[in-house]
Amino acid sequence: MGKKDGNVRMSLQTLRVLEVFLENPTERFAGAEVHQRCGIASGTLYPILLRLESAGWFVSQWESIDPVSAGRPRRRLYRLTSTGLRRASEVFASFNRGVLA
Amino acid sequence: MSQRNERLRQPDVTHWLIHHAAHRTPESLSSRLEEEWLADVESRSSSWSRLRFALGCWWAAMVIVSEYPRSRVPAASSAAAARGGFITLVDRNFGYFSLRSGTLFLIAGLHAALFYVLITTLSHTHGLATPPNLENHPVNAVPPEKLPPPAMEMKRWTLDVQKLVVDVPPKIDVEEEATAPVVEQSQEPYTTQLPPETPVHVVQRVGGGPGAGFPETADFYPSLSIHLGEEGISTVRVCVDAKGRLTSEPTTVKGSGNARLDEGALKLARAGSGHYRATTEDGQPVNSCYAFGVRFQLKK
Repeated sequence: MGKKDGNVRMSLQTLRVLEVFLENPTERFAGAEVHQRCGIASGTLYPILLRLESAGWFVSQWESIDPVSAGRPRRRLYRLTSTGLRRASEVFASFNRGVLA
Repeated sequence: MSQRNERLRQPDVTHWLIHHAAHRTPESLSSRLEEEWLADVESRSSSWSRLRFALGCWWAAMVIVSEYPRSRVPAASSAAAARGGFITLVDRNFGYFSLRSGTLFLIAGLHAALFYVLITTLSHTHGLATPPNLENHPVNAVPPEKLPPPAMEMKRWTLDVQKLVVDVPPKIDVEEEATAPVVEQSQEPYTTQLPPETPVHVVQRVGGGPGAGFPETADFYPSLSIHLGEEGISTVRVCVDAKGRLTSEPTTVKGSGNARLDEGALKLARAGSGHYRATTEDGQPVNSCYAFGVRFQLKK
């Protein structure tokens, strides 16, 4: 069981998801891209994304494309909020200090 | 043809799974998650990967349902979702039994059930089952039928027994490995009427062996064995007459483990003919056979 950080449970999988976003804090990622980068299965990944979003660490929005012209459905894109960036940075900094925040 | 059918069938399966998984989630999330998952599944290339993704969505739906109870999830309008605003949801709060703990209890229960079935099954096997009560039923022994003695005609027989005289065969030398008392056999012919007080005379037998003038073992030490440093004890059996001469070819009773040494011991035994000390019985030399060991040992 991970340790709760505010409203977010800090499991290993959660940290791996956060690591993907911290590497590119301004980018937006779909769930499929996060899966490709950290290898977490969909059954674990989407609850984590929803959890982080409900905690205010992430925001999500639909991809602004025309599905007909793009030939594919629009995707849901996630990105770090300023709060999420700060909290996630604190969490990883606490690891460097050897203490989980 | 089969691949084409699979391609046609596979999307239906994955889409069906994703559709039903999404509709298990709260209404505020179901349409969003269905669209999101259907979009993400398109990034999977292989059909197996798509199927795994769809099954994962089922699991995700179960987790989401357990984490976001319907009563506590605020309605999120599709219009808000279209605007891209993030959904404010409360974190899970449903007591002691989370999905993980429920799964843990389920697994523990299954193990307990399996253990119970295993124990129950074993106790009903024939090997471990309690045997039925055993009872002893004594069997009355049938007494042997007493048969009447056969009718015999009693006759009186008269035998004329003559005095039997047996000649003792000539004395044969017996192999003697060591001095042992031997009961002297009577040299007189046996008769059926032996005197009750026949005196028993114990012969004092002294075993023979290599005597004076016997060759030195070192002279028969094989030169190759000396060169190779071979050592050992070879036991040789010889038959010697009263004058210490061999009456037959010596033989190896117990080898040294080295054929050269054994051959050297036999040569020594042959060369010693005439120098053996004969076995004596009551001080008189007699023919006999005995064994002795020949030790081949190099000087340090």
